[in-house]
Amino acid sequence: MSKLIKNLTIILSLTIGSYANANANSIDTLERERAKALNLVLDKNISIGDRKKNLQKSKMRLLDIERMTINSKDINKNPNYQTIKAFENFDLTFLVHTSLEKGKSLSITWLEEMGLTTVNLMNTRVTRK
Amino acid sequence: MKNINIKLFLIILSGSFYSVSSLANNNMVEWKPQIVEKMYILPPKHLNKVLNNDFNKSLLALNLQNTDNKIKDKIQKISELNSLLPGTSNEESMEIKHQIIINKKNYIKDMNDFLIMKKQKLNTKKIFFKKIQKNIKTNSSIGKASTKFLNNKNIAIKRAEKLNFKIIENSSYNISKQSKYFKQYQVNKDAMRKLKLAIEKHPMSNKNILSNDPKNKMEAIRNYVHNIETEIAVLDMKEQMIHYMAKIVVLDAMSLAENITFASENEKDIISTNFNDPVNIISIFTN
Repeated sequence: MSKLIKNLTIILSLTIGSYANANANSIDTLERERAKALNLVLDKNISIGDRKKNLQKSKMRLLDIERMTINSKDINKNPNYQTIKAFENFDLTFLVHTSLEKGKSLSITWLEEMGLTTVNLMNTRVTRK
Repeated sequence: MKNINIKLFLIILSGSFYSVSSLANNNMVEWKPQIVEKMYILPPKHLNKVLNNDFNKSLLALNLQNTDNKIKDKIQKISELNSLLPGTSNEESMEIKHQIIINKKNYIKDMNDFLIMKKQKLNTKKIFFKKIQKNIKTNSSIGKASTKFLNNKNIAIKRAEKLNFKIIENSSYNISKQSKYFKQYQVNKDAMRKLKLAIEKHPMSNKNILSNDPKNKMEAIRNYVHNIETEIAVLDMKEQMIHYMAKIVVLDAMSLAENITFASENEKDIISTNFNDPVNIISIFTN
């Protein structure tokens, strides 16, 4: 009996897992690539040259994935919360597109979107005094 | 002997009217529209045409055609027999009347079958259109919930499209050399733009307003359902007429049976004269 329950649980979790994967596939991939790019921006242990080279590669991949996500028709059917929020915050989700629109680098675009501008940082210093 | 025959005939006749509908139901072949779900997006007028074509290929349509031919045949026979009636002897006339009643009975049975089949066709059509109505309603309710998301997505697509030129121009991205996807994306987008223009310019595109607007499509389908319901109501009335016709045939049969019985009783009276009664044999003595 317990074996049967175990088997049923495995089958059920696999089914639910595959459904969720199919539903949020493109957004998940985008989020992973975006996290890698931001990791490169914030990584202090690599040289400036390596960062530039790796970031360029990452940006290229990210640009393609962003395009694929924007044009994907699969996500139109029953979009989950993550997908809805991603499209509500275009500037933060599609970083490469936003940086191209604004004509700024990817890192500056992200920092600005997070509210970490020079003026804001200077203001925090003033208020601490 | 003749009396027994008539009685049997009457019993069979009246019995057959009661079992007409059940017999018909057993012999009927159901029509299940073989229309793929993708055709549901067709404009209602085209959908109706496709549905009618599908029906014409079905067994029910074949049965309907056969029954229609049978009915025509019966009517012809009845009118032929009616034309033979004047100028015939009493016995011949009784036989012809008997044949007329049998043909009328068969006509009523076939007509009842015909009406049931027609009703079945209309009911299947009605169920089909109701299903489409339900689909449209479900789709529109899902559509309302995801409108905000789709708006955001459309804005994102427009913003991305605006950047196409900028990406090609931007030397730091040098997309045309590095991204295979972007190259294909550009080619496909151009092709799609051309196709969209062709669709807009197509003469049927303007006529196809019904399929574009779900509200109009719903209204058109509602009209079809209304028309079908009207036809079903008319068929119900025709069924009522068939019931009255059956009653008349039964009454005719009863009248014929009575006439035959009356005639045979007269014959019996002549044959079965009681010779034991002296009153009955007076003529033998007097003549």
